[in-house]
Amino acid sequence: MAGHDQLLSPCTDLEENLVLFHYGELPAPERFSLEQHLSGCVNCTGYLKDLSALLPLTIKSDEPPETFWMDYNRELRHKIASARDKKWWPVKFGAFFQPRLVTAFGAIAVIAVALTLTVGKGLWQSHELPGDDEALMEVLPVAENLEFFKTMDVLDNLDVLEFMASPGGAA
Amino acid sequence: MSLLESAETTRQFPPGSVFISGATRSLQHMSSSVRARDEELVAAAQRGNHQAFEELVERHKQKAFHIAFDFCRDREDAKDLSQEAFLKAFVNLKNFDGRSSFYTWFYRILVNLCLDYKRRLKRSPTDSFDETLETQMERSHEPNRPRSPDQQVLAGQISQKVDSALQALPAKQRTAFILKNHQGLSIREIAELMQTAEGTVKVHLHRAVTALRHSLAEFV
Repeated sequence: MAGHDQLLSPCTDLEENLVLFHYGELPAPERFSLEQHLSGCVNCTGYLKDLSALLPLTIKSDEPPETFWMDYNRELRHKIASARDKKWWPVKFGAFFQPRLVTAFGAIAVIAVALTLTVGKGLWQSHELPGDDEALMEVLPVAENLEFFKTMDVLDNLDVLEFMASPGGAA
Repeated sequence: MSLLESAETTRQFPPGSVFISGATRSLQHMSSSVRARDEELVAAAQRGNHQAFEELVERHKQKAFHIAFDFCRDREDAKDLSQEAFLKAFVNLKNFDGRSSFYTWFYRILVNLCLDYKRRLKRSPTDSFDETLETQMERSHEPNRPRSPDQQVLAGQISQKVDSALQALPAKQRTAFILKNHQGLSIREIAELMQTAEGTVKVHLHRAVTALRHSLAEFV
């Protein structure tokens, strides 16, 4: 048993290349150069041997039986169906909050309010004949003004009244 | 006889050989026509064709399960993680714009879920880390081959030690290592999946291998 202290140390500047060489990922020029180095370096050769022995140990495979996959498919179908059902109502609700729709609705609302306050104002007024109360309300101001007009008549004829009140006017 | 030889999991490879896990799950062998078929299925699924998505699941479920298993080393957790990845892919399929292959996009989702799983486990360790040797022996590498009691105990010890060593790796190193060592992906594919440079992947891989070699030195 080698143990930590007895591990052969490869050439430091070649260690990364050795790992890539083990996995077949070293490009051709470097691979050729390393192969030549390995023919004369015990430490690097020992390092590669360690990798070949140790790295397969890290793999823990699992090959489940057919029944596992049947359950797998069934469960996944159920999960996807649930996700599909959940996603419908938010999608419909959320469709109203898409930016372009929000802008369009906002513009329509502004136009509707503007039309209501301007062009539509007169249209909304009633054309029906005023009821009795309304007629009275229209006449009252006129009636009130009659007293005023009467007063104005007196004032207009004030000089006549004074003449009549004077001693020469009475005769 | 060394511990390694008696464990019955030894596979000696000559220096320079390409190591690909037993099931040869590398995408290096996937032809361009197969990838094109993936894109057709994705397009159909995006138009609302549920059967197209089911076919995508069928194509990728085993590989997805095995990748998740490589990360969590538990069958039920691997099943949950891979299903969650498919579910996320289904929900977000409309956001897939085809800039990368479906494979890369989907497995990126899966790997991120696996890394999140590991982070959650670190915060709240569960009984899954306290597997007995018997549980580990049930999930042996070669269940059909009988083992002596000594070999079974040894296999359990190695498995526990490997689990600890892999857990101790930083997330990116563990990811690069698992995708290369277990799944046989190329450096280029790993870089695309991890959204990083190939040089960075090589550094992660080198550091992971160095750390594991030191952690498992007793088995040399």
